[in-house]
Amino acid sequence: MSTDRPTQSDKELWQSLATGRDVASWVVKAPVSDLDFAAWLEGRMSEEAAARIEAAVATDPDLRRAALELSEVLGQPLPIAPARLEVRAKALVGFEVERRPPALPGLFDWLFASDRRFAFQRAAAMSAAVVIAISGFMLGGGLGESMAQERHTYTTQQHDTSNDLSEFLVSDGI
Amino acid sequence: MTELNQIDLRTLVTGNKRAWDGFVAAAAPLINAVVRRALASYRLSEEDVMDAAQDVFVRLCANDYRLLKTYDPARAGLATWLAVVARSAAIDHARRRRQATLPLDDVPEANLGVEDRHVEKLKIPQGLLTERQMLVLKCLYDEEKDVAEVAQLLKIDAQTVRSTHHKALLRLRSHFQKEPQ
Repeated sequence: MSTDRPTQSDKELWQSLATGRDVASWVVKAPVSDLDFAAWLEGRMSEEAAARIEAAVATDPDLRRAALELSEVLGQPLPIAPARLEVRAKALVGFEVERRPPALPGLFDWLFASDRRFAFQRAAAMSAAVVIAISGFMLGGGLGESMAQERHTYTTQQHDTSNDLSEFLVSDGI
Repeated sequence: MTELNQIDLRTLVTGNKRAWDGFVAAAAPLINAVVRRALASYRLSEEDVMDAAQDVFVRLCANDYRLLKTYDPARAGLATWLAVVARSAAIDHARRRRQATLPLDDVPEANLGVEDRHVEKLKIPQGLLTERQMLVLKCLYDEEKDVAEVAQLLKIDAQTVRSTHHKALLRLRSHFQKEPQ
């Protein structure tokens, strides 16, 4: 580092001047974005755009400290990071299989879920399903009528078979 | 640093594990260095510094890589942008940590006292100095940096810094000699 520093009288002059945030009202107060700040640190900005950042950096001691620190770090060779940092950071993102969202629950999973969320809606849906099933069954004639109809069909078929047999025997003179 | 420039950001922000691992390996030295430098004056433990560095990576991948998606390679280099983001995250982390762990009673009384050293100072009128002149003077006097450091910051040579400094002081002297207040 150079020892090229200003003289004491220059410093005294500067110290006699008010240069804090409160007096720098002429400086544009718009916040400096990270990207603009990075572009300025790289010297990529136009003169006009750079002047806006320079005004902000001159006014804001935090921003000025940030600029000086970053300029120092970026201008030096970087030491190797601790392995633990890398391991922890890599673990933040998992493989695709691990990150795949669970499948959407089915209707029965939802209806018979053990938690209390949507309990009222679930009860209403189940009641509606039961009412619809019973109504449908009743409209179809119920269980008794269904069995009676089935029995009738069976006996009719049996009767038809016996008639056919008698006719065959009669025709043969038996 | 060259590795960082080879990172495929489009693949990275899709959540690709390999791309993330490559990014972490390339960015870890920079983030580690920036965080350590930023927190040097906070006197935090090694564990806290590691947490702060980890916090930077968390921010980068949080909410479906929202922060990383704001990066525009046309405007700034990835390394410089990452350094800015890392420093800002580290300072936030340290401030949160300090607020959470330092009760007012633990602060030495000398630090809480405000010394009344009010001295009427002269105001620099608007437009007397350019933004760059003001910045050069602030860096040299308020931050006590030397010419080489200011030159490195502003990406200009040391002679230009000296010349800017000299012109700024001439203007100040000339103005305040004419109008003593």
